[in-house]
Amino acid sequence: MADHRLAVWDAALDAVRSYLRGAGLLEVSTPFIVPAVAVEPFIEPVVVGAGADRHFVITSPELAMKRLVCRHHHDVFQIAHVRRAGERSDRHREEFHLVEWYRVGATLGTLQADVAALCRRVAAAVAGVQGRTTPPEPRWETHRFFDLLETTTGVDLRGADDPGTLLQSLRSAAGLSGDTVAAADLGVSQLARWTECFSLWSDQHLDAWLRDRPGVAVHLEAFPPALAALAQVDRRAAPAFAHRFESHLGGIEVANGYLELRDAEEQRRRFERVNALRERHGLETLPLDEAFLADLEHPGLPSCVGVALGLDRLVMLAAGAHRLDDIDPLG
Amino acid sequence: MDVSDLKKNIKLLIDGQPWVVTEFQFVKPGKGQGLYKCKIKNMLSGSVIDRTWRSGEKLEAANVESRTMQYLYNDGTQYTFMDNLNYEQVEIQTDIIGDDRNFLMDNLEVEVLFFNNRAVGVTVPSHVVMTVTECEPGIKGDTATGATKGATVETGYSLQVPLFIKEGEKLKIDTRTGAYIERVNE
Repeated sequence: MADHRLAVWDAALDAVRSYLRGAGLLEVSTPFIVPAVAVEPFIEPVVVGAGADRHFVITSPELAMKRLVCRHHHDVFQIAHVRRAGERSDRHREEFHLVEWYRVGATLGTLQADVAALCRRVAAAVAGVQGRTTPPEPRWETHRFFDLLETTTGVDLRGADDPGTLLQSLRSAAGLSGDTVAAADLGVSQLARWTECFSLWSDQHLDAWLRDRPGVAVHLEAFPPALAALAQVDRRAAPAFAHRFESHLGGIEVANGYLELRDAEEQRRRFERVNALRERHGLETLPLDEAFLADLEHPGLPSCVGVALGLDRLVMLAAGAHRLDDIDPLG
Repeated sequence: MDVSDLKKNIKLLIDGQPWVVTEFQFVKPGKGQGLYKCKIKNMLSGSVIDRTWRSGEKLEAANVESRTMQYLYNDGTQYTFMDNLNYEQVEIQTDIIGDDRNFLMDNLEVEVLFFNNRAVGVTVPSHVVMTVTECEPGIKGDTATGATKGATVETGYSLQVPLFIKEGEKLKIDTRTGAYIERVNE
């Protein structure tokens, strides 16, 4: 069987650039090794150097790209090498490619349309070099988080501060015992419990729900406020929700997007809360990106949306492969 | 040890028992907690269970080692083995050897499992070749019938063999079932 892996990657990279440039975005290239990364509960950066020279390999180009948007107010995209320590499976590699792009003054709906279009363009380009006809496009659906949670589990958590009994039953189903992290701080405890609930729910319910719908791709939006990460939260809505979405194609997560948080103080508080959670789990606390927080303060981030898409997974799906290793030309 | 160190064949200490990871699946939403879904096997009892761990949990490594050793002799209650690399000798009780004592020929190479530096198990090869020390005379030519007779081999073990087998012949025996496989001509 002919080995098309070089041509597949060339076609995919070209399709990404052609689509995003065609939409008016400028391609940028930001640092790979940085003094600080975005602080996230369970994303581990690779450490480079020690002491005063301690730096990190980026886990995403997010912070630098948002600084560019702060300073230049232009739509930008990047195809970045990123690294996340300890993540390895058929669908995970420590080092992978994120396509990340930002649109000033746009809505999450625009990004969702971008994601669908990009998936279509890459699928067509890859099928072309493999000598296959383009497979039919999936039907993209948008679902709100709490709606899907209720559909799959029967539990309504709209407006709930804590995932409560749902977390208990998900833990039982996985054979897991109670809280491994005792937290005096309510914010930290809620972050821990919602994060665990989301992971267990994804594994036990979302994956099966997606598998039952071949031919359907999903943007899952309106996340619980505790899982906002770097997105804005709408607290006036009932129920309150985070302006965040995740896109799932072929049953796997391929993209994560936000209406970007613009409040520097809130962003700092969130990073500190995550660090407190990491400390309780015995994970290293991480330095905050002061340059990013400073730009967020002044000149400030214009209203914008941003999304990161896992290009390796998209290429894998487009090529009809089942493991990331299968599309690696060095594999 | 951190859960991120989990992978196949790693040895864990859980509730004082040594377990080995036989299957391993890592599941993680991009911004979620990682789940490590494993099948683990108890190295003493052999039982296999499912077990899931979450990112951030800690594990203990089991102090387990497997060494190749040679069987020397036994005194009825203890079996003595020697490590060919350092000539160290180890005595292992009969109850730990179990039915495998039927296959312990002189100088047989086995794998000895040590847990916290104590021998806790022995694995013999999947088959051995042993000499028949006692059986009724062979019946010439009768290879067609399924009829069998009793025979004893050099370790004192008795098993059923085809009628044509004679004393002094060598037999290949399956150590997992204890059954005759075939006659070995040398």
